[in-house]
Amino acid sequence: MTISLAVPDILVARAKSGDLEALEALYRAFETPVYNLALRVLRRPEDAEDVLQETFLEVVRSIKQYRGEGHLWGWIRQIATSKALMRIRHDRVRETEELHEESVAGAGAGAGDIAGVGVIGASAGMSPGSVPAQIDLERAFERLSETSRAVVWLHDVEGYTHEEIAEQMGKTVSFSKSQLARAHVRLRRMLDEGVSQ
Amino acid sequence: MMHCTMDDLLALRAGEGSAWARQHAAGCAACRAELEALYQRVAQLKALPARRPARDRWPAVRDGALAERRRRRGRWGVSGLAAAAALAGLLVFRPFWTKPVDAAELARVKQQSATLEQQLQRYDPDGRVTSGRSAALAAALEDRIAVIDGELAQLGPSRAQARPADLVTLWQQRVELMEQLMSVHVTRAAYVGL
Repeated sequence: MTISLAVPDILVARAKSGDLEALEALYRAFETPVYNLALRVLRRPEDAEDVLQETFLEVVRSIKQYRGEGHLWGWIRQIATSKALMRIRHDRVRETEELHEESVAGAGAGAGDIAGVGVIGASAGMSPGSVPAQIDLERAFERLSETSRAVVWLHDVEGYTHEEIAEQMGKTVSFSKSQLARAHVRLRRMLDEGVSQ
Repeated sequence: MMHCTMDDLLALRAGEGSAWARQHAAGCAACRAELEALYQRVAQLKALPARRPARDRWPAVRDGALAERRRRRGRWGVSGLAAAAALAGLLVFRPFWTKPVDAAELARVKQQSATLEQQLQRYDPDGRVTSGRSAALAAALEDRIAVIDGELAQLGPSRAQARPADLVTLWQQRVELMEQLMSVHVTRAAYVGL
């Protein structure tokens, strides 16, 4: 996903003054990345749209506080991430999914086992270097728990550090690290065995 | 044979792998392949296609922006009222002051400020398209006016020891800023001095 996120300073200045055309231009510029971040974390399109709307309502309310330090996308992304994580915390707790995650991951990331997925090539006759089709990875990613998806997406795709994720989620750095490891173990296993299984 | 765990591989990817993990991965084809698979998975996640929302949420955001604007104007009004109340309180507590208040001057600048406020609302700057420079100037002026409103609101009767000269000065500053704001909106003056 490659999208240009550069916006002219003059547009930001107009948005700060409450110019609706400028605010809409900002919305159009960042609509897709915000929606995608929320969709990858929350999975349900309706939830992602709600986060998109909540994010830009917050942008409208707070744009004057943006002082031009850092990229505007970084500032908006922080708001979107916060809204998405808040939704995970308060709106829905998918206990069954979490339980399933626990049972599958188990001690998968333990020592002595290549990446916690068993001996290479023994599980599905697939070499570890052969990465399955992208659609499979997308489906496998969607089957992770919300928390795991959030950690993987924020760390591996958005480039957040474990410290930043821990702060955003109100957890520890080791929680973030272990979630990432477990998520990759599970992704690896699902891709080896076939997502549909 | 002990191989790298996913924790080890993630640490290696982050350049934080332990000495043992680095040494092992260097000599273990299986772990190197697993590390390469990790890199590829992440690259593919980054390359997942962008999705677009099915519904346009901008109308809802725009309505929210307009509501916020109305609320803000209301707050300005409240601030103005609070400032006026503070002024009335100071006038009542005038005996505590060390020197007489120029009530006429206070009333004059206060009236001036209210008139400018009305003119600005009639002009409806939010409904007009402005240049980026004008918008930035207007935003800076609004911020400064808000600061003065806050200071005026704090000058209640309980703080009657405040110097009346300061109060007059604050109101005068508010009027000057309001005039500059009008100037930016109406004439798009480029020489406001910000």
